[in-house]
This record gives sequence, C-alpha cells and structure tokens, in this order.
Amino acid sequence: MNSAIRIAIALLAVVVLAALPWFGSDVIVQFGISTLLLAVLAQGWNIIGGYTGYPSFGNSTFFGLGAYGVAVAMVQWNMPFWVGMVFGAAMAVCFAILLGLPVLRLKGHYFAIATLALAQVVAAIVSNIPLFGQNIGLVLPPLNNDAMFYELSLALLLMATLTVWWLTRSRFGFGLIAIRENEEGAAVMGVNTTLYKVMAFALSGLFSSLAGGIQAYWITFLDPASAFDISLNVKMIIMAVFGGPGTVLGPIVGAVVLSAVSEVLSSEVTNAAGLFFGIVVVAAVVLMPRGLADIVHHFRKSGWRYFVQNIRAHRI
Amino acid sequence: MSINTLRLAGALFGAVALYSAPAVAEDLVLGASVQLTGPVANTGRYYKDAYEFTIDKINEAGGVKVGDKQYKLALKLYDNQSDVNLSVRQYTQLITQDKVNLLLGPFASNFALADSAISEKYQVPMVQGGGASDQIFSRNFKYIFGTLAPASNYFGSTIAMMKELDPAPKSVALLYADDSFDVSVAKGTRPLLTDAGFTIALDERYTSNASDFNSLLSQVKNANVDAVLMAGHETEILNFVRQAKSLSVAPKLYSFTVGVPSEDFRKALGKDADYAYGMSAWLPSTDLKDRWFGDAAAFAEAYKAKYGYAPDYHAASGAADVEALAKAVEAAGTIDPKAVRDAIAKLNFDSLYGTVAFGENGQINLAQTVVQIQDGNLAAVYGGKGFIEKPKYPMPTWDAR
Repeated sequence: MNSAIRIAIALLAVVVLAALPWFGSDVIVQFGISTLLLAVLAQGWNIIGGYTGYPSFGNSTFFGLGAYGVAVAMVQWNMPFWVGMVFGAAMAVCFAILLGLPVLRLKGHYFAIATLALAQVVAAIVSNIPLFGQNIGLVLPPLNNDAMFYELSLALLLMATLTVWWLTRSRFGFGLIAIRENEEGAAVMGVNTTLYKVMAFALSGLFSSLAGGIQAYWITFLDPASAFDISLNVKMIIMAVFGGPGTVLGPIVGAVVLSAVSEVLSSEVTNAAGLFFGIVVVAAVVLMPRGLADIVHHFRKSGWRYFVQNIRAHRI
Repeated sequence: MSINTLRLAGALFGAVALYSAPAVAEDLVLGASVQLTGPVANTGRYYKDAYEFTIDKINEAGGVKVGDKQYKLALKLYDNQSDVNLSVRQYTQLITQDKVNLLLGPFASNFALADSAISEKYQVPMVQGGGASDQIFSRNFKYIFGTLAPASNYFGSTIAMMKELDPAPKSVALLYADDSFDVSVAKGTRPLLTDAGFTIALDERYTSNASDFNSLLSQVKNANVDAVLMAGHETEILNFVRQAKSLSVAPKLYSFTVGVPSEDFRKALGKDADYAYGMSAWLPSTDLKDRWFGDAAAFAEAYKAKYGYAPDYHAASGAADVEALAKAVEAAGTIDPKAVRDAIAKLNFDSLYGTVAFGENGQINLAQTVVQIQDGNLAAVYGGKGFIEKPKYPMPTWDAR
C-alpha cells in the first residue's frame, strides 16, 4: 500500500515534469534543461562519490568527452546527433576504465587529487588535436527545439535515477556500499573491489558524458575551456552533497534547490549573487553536513535541535 | 520520498512565480547580459560602463526620434557570472519576459556564439562589441552584428604597410600562442601574407604563458627573416623582446598583436621597447567625429572622468553598439525588430569608434591602426588611408642602439 502510493507519486511527478514545456515559459524550460543536466551530473557523481565513497573531481572530464563526442560527430563527420552521443559515451567509458584501473587504487584525498588534474590534462590534449577543433572550438548546427532538449534531459535523469535506485537493491550496489564502508572488509567478504570500483566509475562517466552531449548540442558551441570546466565538477559535488550523497533522490533535490536559489539570486540581486550563493553553501555545510535527505530522516525526531547538534558534532 | 518530490515540485513552482517580472513601459529598452562577476568580469565591466555611459549621453540629447515619436533609451542588464548557460537563459528572459526591444552583446566570443542563437531564434537583432571570432559570423545568422575588428584581419594593415616599406621585407616569421584567438589570427594572416607576396619562412605555434623563447628566437635567427609577426599575450611578448635583446636577434621589423599600445609595456621595457610595432583598433583621436560625444578624445575624457579609468577599444566598441542601435531605429522609423535589423544592415555612419558599417555576414570591417614605439612614445604610423607618421624602419641591431 505504502509503496503503491510512493510509485504513484513518483509517476505523477514525472508526468508533471514531462509536461512542463507545454505550460512553462521559454525561460523555465531553459532553466529546466540546465537543472536537469546538473541533476544528471550530480546523480552520476553520486554513484562513484556517494555510494562507492570515492570523491571524484574528474567527472567533468567525462562531461567534456561526451560533449566532444557529439561535436566531432556532427561537425567533422556530419553524422546525426545520436551517433555523437554513442561516440562520446564510448570515449568516456573507455577513458573511465583505462584511467580507473590505476587511479582507483588511491584512496581518500589522494584519489581526489589524482582526479583533480584530469580535466586540465585532457583539455590540454584536446586543444592539440585538429579533429577536436584544437583551441578554436567547434560550432554545432543550431536546433531551436528546447522542448526536445528538455525531454531528452529528463529521460536521461530518469535513467540515471533508476540506475541508482537499482543500486540500492542489487548485489552490485551493496558491493559498492561495502567498499565505501570498509574496502578491506569488502574484499574479505568476496567482493571483487577493483572490478566494482571501475564499473562504478564507468557508470558515473557514462551518465556524465551523455549530459555533456546534450549540453553541447543545446549550446551549439564547444571549446576546451568550456568543456572541461573544473567549476562544473565542484558544482555537481556541492549539489550531491547538499541533497544527500548516497541516497536516491538527494542529488536531484540538491541540484533543483541550489539551481533555483542561484537562478533567483542571479536575476534578483544580479551583482552579489555569487556572494549569497556562497553563504547558502556555507550555511548548508555547517547546519546539515549530511545533506537534505538526512534532515528528512532526523528532523522529526530531534526538531530544530538537529541543526544545533550538527554544529556541535562537527565543531570547526 | 514523497517529501522530496514535494520539494522538487515546490521549487519549480516557486521559480515560476518569481519569473513573472513586470513588463517595461514606454522607453526603448535595450537588453544585455554581461560578465560582472567571474573570471572575465574585468573586461565585462567595460561593456556595462560603456552601455550606460552612451545611453545616458543619448538621453541627455533628447533620446531617439522614431517616426514622430521621441523615445528615451533604457538598459536592462543582467550579470551572467561568466557562465555561458546562464547568459543564454538571461537573453531568453530579456526577450520573452522583460520584453526588451533590442539586444546588446556580452563580452567574449564563446558567449557571443551561444547568445547569437537566441537573437536568431526570436528574431531580435543583437549588436555586440565583445566577440571578434570569425565563427560567430560564419553561420549565416541574420540577427547578429559585431563591431570588434575580425581576428583574421589583425595583421591586415601591418601587411599593407610592409608592402610600402623601403626596402620591403621579404621573408616573414609567424609566431602565435595556442589559444583560440591567436590561432584564428594566424589562420587569417597566412593567406594575407602569401597574397601580398611574402614568404613565410617560419610558422610556429607556442604554448600560452610560455616564458622561454630562446629556441624560438634561435629559429628566427637561423631563418634570418626580415619581419616577425607575433600573436600572443602581453607577458609573452615582454619576455620575447627581452630575450631577443640578449640573443641579439634583430629583424628589420617586429610586430605584436597586444601590449604595444599600453603604457605598461613601455614602462616594463624602457628603451628596449623602441621600434616595436603593434596595432590598435581604436585610438581616442579627435579625427573620429561623433554625433553625441563630439569626437573620440572627448568621449575618452568624459568616460575617464566618470569611471576613473581610461576606456580602451572594448569600451569604444560597446559605445558604438549603442549608437548603432539608436541610428538604426531612427533610420527604420519604427521599433519593430525586423525593420530595425534591416536598418542595421544598411548602416554607414562615423562614430567615436570609426566608421560603422557591417558586411554581408554582419561583421564590421575595421582596419587596425599600426602603431610604433618611437623614442619612448607611441606613434600611429599607418592607418586605413596610408602612412600617418613615418615609421622608423629598419630596426637597427641591438648593439647599434
């Protein structure tokens, strides 16, 4: 009964979101596209960062590769959009596997640092390959169909979320959580940790690259600086952590709430928007370091004391 | 889960409610989204200041006359935080919600590229002075116009001058940094050089922010070229000149895309800055007459008095954008965007920035003025109409200075 209601509510939410282009204004639809894409990125990061416990700072590399897959296929080879999506996703997954094998041996801060430079390295490589338009960038043919981009992004987010949901009830997902909690312990229990970690990294890369592909076609221009933007990686981590890493809906809620806050700030107090956004993030980290999802679980029990407890527990 | 879903729906509806901003009244509203914060905010501010400054000036003179109605100009400006996605959204918002009449551009080519798709989609003309890339104008868009001199033609006037020098240089070395803009400059310069009959003896790309030019300079020395054309950034060029001195590499002429017109460049190099050629898209000279400001020198002076810093070509280009829209609206006799678009395409007027007239693709064809440092002072030596001041040519060897 309870789960039937949940499924009904989820379906209703999806239907309402899918219908948005028909009743929302152009700006809302564009806001929807970039929020959905950010939510996909946060969800993708959730797989490697939230469930597996490997804080990757390299996910924007996959985003960039996916974007370049579409741009190269459409501009240089005159192929349709979906071929580019497949090409970009293939590049990202291959890259994730090849790179994951050595890098995923590192843990904690070392892993974060190793992935931090990735985006810059790949950007430097790409800017020397003529096929990728070097530093000049590639201009894609414009397609004025925001509704299509919106539905594509929504479908992608749905796919990513269902995958994460599947993680919470599959052997693979439990394996990842075991790795996060105690990697040696997981290995002793018979989890093939290397295989699991690399697969999680590749899965994370797959969704990030597909988001990149949609973004490239939508914005119609791509250069190394915009494709391999490190601040994008920071954004997706903030959103996932804000919503609650290692939960199914946390990253989505984080992406939507933070995008909405940032959007309202940037059109209402246009000059100091960045400052206010920073305050929101700092307040979130101090008051609710385990994300919105954690509040939902604990707020009922401890009420407003929840925030006070957090400040005490994580004394800075 | 249901609570999360509710939150999601709530956030979206909240956003819907906040977006229904009031429409603007009787003024002729120009909309723009520029970088006021973020990595390129430094240059983005020039555009904000130039737009506001020019709009105020035009309003002081009574505004613009459209048919028999008098309009005041107004500006609706957003900060895009140096974020391309956000700027695209803000331009959509400007057109669909704020109902602005016409558009001014953002700074930088990648922004102009993305935003031009919006002006094209809604068929509202955008005059932008912040993107010089030829790619913006290669898509056959009808509603985008640009007032920055095209990257491909940066060395155009220098090469025209080189043909008239005596003895004319023959072999040329082309050096350029590996970023988007300088690669475009090199790409455009190659055909200009070969068409003018020069041989390109050396064609080398180097890494942006490089500080060691010794190997590049030895190649220049070995090739024994007459002229060096270099597209790069100011620090690289400073290092290049310093190391050219220590290796005593002295071609008959060297010219640099940036740095030479700035005072810092002359201060940093002292006497060694002499003989260096450069270019400027805009010099605040009294020869550039303007309907609202009188001339470019008066514009520069008033601008500096108001904002506390001297305007450069970015600011002048931004001011020209506003003037182009004002002129076009007057010529069209209506504020209908499509009619104004056609009027912009036909524009041809003198401004503080130079003659504003757009080519078939929407890009201005503005000749760079060749400048040279002569005895520590900046001299304009060659412009669209030939020599201005006599260039000091050829450059003597370093020990003969």
